[in-house]
Amino acid sequence: MSMKWLGVYARRALALAVVLAIWESLAANGYVDPFYMPPPSAIGAIVVDQFASGDIWPHLQATFGAALLGLALGILFGIFLGFVAALIPYLAELLEPVMAMLNAIPRVILAPLFIIWLGIGIGSKVALSFILVVVLTFFAVYNGIRDVDQRLVERVRTLGGGRLVLVREVYIPSVVAWVMGNLKVAVGFAFTGAVVGEFVAASRGLGYLLSYAQSTYNASLTMALIFLVMVFVLFLFTLAGMLERYLLRWKGS
Amino acid sequence: MLHIRELSLAFGKGAVPVLEGLSLDLQAGEFMSLIGPSGCGKSTLLRAITGLQKPSAGAVSLDVSPDEVAFLFQDDALLPWRSVRDNVALGLRNRGTRKAQARREADGWLAAVGLEGYGDRWPRQLSGGQRKRVAIAQCLALRPRVLLMDEPFASLDAIVRHYLTEDLMSWVERENLTVLMVTHDLEEAIALSDRVLLMGNGPRARIKGHFQVPLSRPRDLVGVRTEPAFRDLARDLWSALSEEVGPMSSTRPDLKVVNE
Repeated sequence: MSMKWLGVYARRALALAVVLAIWESLAANGYVDPFYMPPPSAIGAIVVDQFASGDIWPHLQATFGAALLGLALGILFGIFLGFVAALIPYLAELLEPVMAMLNAIPRVILAPLFIIWLGIGIGSKVALSFILVVVLTFFAVYNGIRDVDQRLVERVRTLGGGRLVLVREVYIPSVVAWVMGNLKVAVGFAFTGAVVGEFVAASRGLGYLLSYAQSTYNASLTMALIFLVMVFVLFLFTLAGMLERYLLRWKGS
Repeated sequence: MLHIRELSLAFGKGAVPVLEGLSLDLQAGEFMSLIGPSGCGKSTLLRAITGLQKPSAGAVSLDVSPDEVAFLFQDDALLPWRSVRDNVALGLRNRGTRKAQARREADGWLAAVGLEGYGDRWPRQLSGGQRKRVAIAQCLALRPRVLLMDEPFASLDAIVRHYLTEDLMSWVERENLTVLMVTHDLEEAIALSDRVLLMGNGPRARIKGHFQVPLSRPRDLVGVRTEPAFRDLARDLWSALSEEVGPMSSTRPDLKVVNE
């Protein structure tokens, strides 16, 4: 890492420390009501307590399970449908408006419907994550294939490549590039789906805890949970970034 | 070697044909250039020969297998997600050569075009001239008998262009390749070719004239330009082309004017 970035990180850390210190002192001196705006120390204590007592684990497991399953299924089906639609125009005629309609509604409002259909278990959360991710992936793949560089297609054909070679050498790498470019957004969507689904109705999960914290007016627990979701999603962003850099290493930085 | 009979080509049914009733023959070992106004269908003709474009009538026939035809494109687009080596190996692999063997051969072809040790690079890490060399290696690896080129050096600067042309011509001479080249550059056409074909304005473009180049090959690509025969032919071609395009036409040829 270069000195320039070390400096940037140092200044950012300093700024964060200053903000937290001001916040803490405002609460300690009675300028803000800790009931509404708990100090960072109280939020931190709850995070530590959640892990120390082990209470958080089943909730983390539920949320991660639903989000990752929804993410994986959404990407797989999105790729499949996008590929099929791009290669079979008749199917595209039917699929495109359906996906456009799904894209037009804020898909989290489907949560109540999924809970009615699939119950309060993990199924409804996976479904919500899935529907958020699948539409995004579908459009990435569908447009990606239709925008494939025709010069490359012709190159491969004049080098004697048939349909299979074209798929392997041109279409799949193009699709990988498009999907990877959208992976971080998809991870965010998957967590949104899982947490919102749990928030609406569940017996476990970070969204369920959030809903519980809200109903008991527990601002520190609410903020602790928001903090946790942020940390975990950032962690997954890092993993997604590493995967993206590896698979798209031909692009360079 | 290459025979085109009454070739017509239209983009879509009922459209005005770009090419109509076009015929030409290339002898084995002949280097032929095709010049003409922009948009007259020169590139379309090449694409029809390779099968990238389906003709609406007429036929293209070859004295060799279609496997022995290579196409050098105007741009230097390579598969960006494949190493330089795998880009060159692709044509070999499409013919059933095993991966390891194809890669070994690809390294040999890279060395032959002056890019030894570049096999592991990504295309983006190469300069435009180097990418062009990779594209040439892709073509040579097919061991072609016929080489089709669509303004192969148009995007390169003068020095790179000169050396690449010399290298490519040494391959053409050594392998006795039959070449059909589309170009905008009248002097390049004369310097390299045995015969220059002038194509008329499109649509319904036809061959307007055959110009035999009365100079033996191989040639000194710099020296040849000062030969009287070269100057005379350049003048004839220029006036034929001007006549075709017309001085007030909106589709003036983007040709280099022959300096007197």
